[in-house]
Amino acid sequence: MSEPAPKAPVTADPLVRHSLLEGRYADAALGESLLRPVLGPPGPGWWALVGLCSALTALLVVAIGVTLGKGVGTWGNNIPVAWAFGIINFVWWIGIGHAGTLISAILLLFGEKWRSSVNRMAEAMTLFAVACAGLFPLLHLGRPWKFYWLVPYPSALRMWPQFRSPLTWDIVAILTYLTVSVLFWYMGLLPDLATARDTARQTWKRRAWGLLSLGWRGSARHWLRWRTGYLLLAGLATPLVVSVHTIVSFDFAVAQLPGWHTTVFPPYFVAGAIFSGLAMVLCLLLPARRVLRLHHVVTQAHLDVLARLMLVAGLFVAYGYVQEHFFGWYSGNPYEMHVMGILRTGPYAPLFWTVVTCNVLVPQVFWWGRPRTSPVVLWGAALLVNLGMWLERYMIVVAPLSEDFLPSSWRHYAPTWVDLSLLAGTLGFFGLGFLLFLKLLPPVPVSEVKQLQHELDASEAFAREVAARAGAPGGGR
Amino acid sequence: MRGWLLGEFRSPERLLEAARGLRARGFTRLDAFTPFPVEGMDEALALPPSRLPRLALVAGVGGAAGAYLVQWFTQAVDWPLDVGGRPLHAGPVFIPIAFETAVLSAASAIFLGVLIGCGLPRVTHPFLGLEPFRSASIDGFWVSVAVDDDAGGAAADAALRELGAVKVSRVEEGG
Repeated sequence: MSEPAPKAPVTADPLVRHSLLEGRYADAALGESLLRPVLGPPGPGWWALVGLCSALTALLVVAIGVTLGKGVGTWGNNIPVAWAFGIINFVWWIGIGHAGTLISAILLLFGEKWRSSVNRMAEAMTLFAVACAGLFPLLHLGRPWKFYWLVPYPSALRMWPQFRSPLTWDIVAILTYLTVSVLFWYMGLLPDLATARDTARQTWKRRAWGLLSLGWRGSARHWLRWRTGYLLLAGLATPLVVSVHTIVSFDFAVAQLPGWHTTVFPPYFVAGAIFSGLAMVLCLLLPARRVLRLHHVVTQAHLDVLARLMLVAGLFVAYGYVQEHFFGWYSGNPYEMHVMGILRTGPYAPLFWTVVTCNVLVPQVFWWGRPRTSPVVLWGAALLVNLGMWLERYMIVVAPLSEDFLPSSWRHYAPTWVDLSLLAGTLGFFGLGFLLFLKLLPPVPVSEVKQLQHELDASEAFAREVAARAGAPGGGR
Repeated sequence: MRGWLLGEFRSPERLLEAARGLRARGFTRLDAFTPFPVEGMDEALALPPSRLPRLALVAGVGGAAGAYLVQWFTQAVDWPLDVGGRPLHAGPVFIPIAFETAVLSAASAIFLGVLIGCGLPRVTHPFLGLEPFRSASIDGFWVSVAVDDDAGGAAADAALRELGAVKVSRVEEGG
C-alpha cells in the first residue's frame, strides 16, 4: 500500500495572504486548546457580563409583562405610524441571524475552508438572534396568547388563517428558519459534543455531554451519513436565508404605501441582512477570539475575508439606496418623490445621512489591507454598521408611514420606555444566550479544525513535492 | 464468544491502509472510528452511498404539496373570502408558505434520517466502556472487526498487529 495521493493545495489562492491556521499542533493538543473555554471554570469577566445581560433580560421580562398586561397601547405606535419598534427590531434581529447561516451553509457548499473556525459562533449568534426576532411579531399581534390562530388547525371557530396575508407567511418563515437553524447547529455539534465528553475529566460534565452527544462514536458509517446530511441541510439553508428575508421584505413591498411599494426590496433586504449579520459576527468574534485565546484558529485570514465580505455586502446595500431614490424620482409619482425627499432634506435627513455614513462610507476603509486585519478598526466599523442598519430599518418603517398620502393625517413618532426596554432587553437576552453558549458548548468546531489541519498538511506536502520536482532539473521559478 | 477486536492506529493514512489490508485478508464486518471524517474511508470499507438525498427530495416535495393543498382548501373551498375581488385560488401567494414548508419537512426528515441511520440516540455502547477508546474522538484512529469465536478473534488480532496497530483491545457483546 502506498501513501494516499496528496490533495491540491488549499492555500493557493493568491489573494489570501494569511494562513488559515497558525502553527501546527498534535490533534490532542489542538482539541484541548479549542475546548479550554468549556473545560475550565468561568472567569470574573464572564460573570460580570452575565450579570449585566441578566439585568437587561429582567428588563425585557418587565417590558413584555407591561405589553401583555396593558396592551400595545404602551408602545409609541400611533396612527398613521402603526408599525414601529416591533417591526424595526424584528427585521434587524432576523437580518443579523442571516449571516450565521450564510457563513455556515453557503460557504460549506462552496467548500470554503476558512468557515470552519468561525461557523459555530456564527450559528449560535443566528439562533439567539432569531429567538429575539420571533418575539416581536408575537408581541405586536395585540393578543399574543392567540398566536395559534395563525396556524391552520381545525377549530370549533370554523375559521382559517388568511394565507394571502404576509403575516401568515412570516410565521411560517420564522418557525422554519428557527427549526432549520437549530437542526443544522445541533447536527454540526454532535461530533464535538463527543469530543468534549471524551476530554472532560469531571463526571457530571462527561454525563451531560454524553447525553447531548447521543452516543456519537465517530464510526465511518456515522461520518458518511453525517456529512451527507450536513451538506443537504446546508443546501436547504441557503435558499432559506434568501427566502426568509425576501418574505420579510414582502411585508412592506406588497403594501401600496409610497416608499414601500418597490421591487428592489427583496434583494435590498437580503443584502442588508447579510451586511448587518457580518457586522454582528465581527462584534462577537473579535472579543471572543481575544478572551478565549483563539488566535491560532481565528487568524488574520479570517478577519481579512470577513472584512472583504462586509465591504461587498455594504456595496450591495449602497446600490439599494441608490435604486430606492432613483426610482422614487423616476416614478414621477409625487407621493414617492415626497417620501424620498423627506429622507434627504426633510425631518429624517439627520437619520438618513447617519445611515449613509455608517453603512456606505465606513465600510470603504476595507479597500485597504491594513484596516481589514486590525481588530480595533474592524470592531469599531462593525459596531457602526450595526447601528447604521438599525437606523436604516427605522427609516424604512417610520418615514413612509408618518408622511403618507394625506397631509392632514401626518404624524411623527417617538418610542416610549417600553419600546426602548424591549430593544435593550433583547440585546441583553441575546448576549446572555451567547455567553452561556461560549461556556457550555465547544465554540469552535474541533473535528473540522483537525480535518482542516490535516488537509493543510497534505497540501503543503504536495506543494513541496511539486517544488522539489520542478527544482531538480534546474527549473523552478 | 461474540464481540469485536479494536485496533488503534496513529494516523488516518495508517488507518486507511489497515482497512484495505483487513478487507484484502477477507474480513468483512469492519468499521472505523475517527475524530474527523477521513477521505477515502467509505471506499476502503465499501460502504454504500447514503440514501438521504432521496429521502430529502420526497419529504420536501411532500411538504410543499401538503402546504399548497391546505392553502387551496382553506382559502378557495372551505371558507372562500372575497377580498376586493381577488382570486380565491391565488397561486403566487401560496408559494412562499409552500416553499418554507418544503424546506422544513426536508430538513426534519434529514435530521431524523441521520439519527436513525446512525442508530442514534444510543447513549450506551460496549465500545464507550473501553477507556482507551476515548481517543477515537480526540486523536486515535480505530478500526473494529466483529468476530464470532475465539479462533476468529485470534486471526483478527494477528491481522491487526501485522498491519501496525499500536494497541489491540477486545470488547464483548453486552459487556
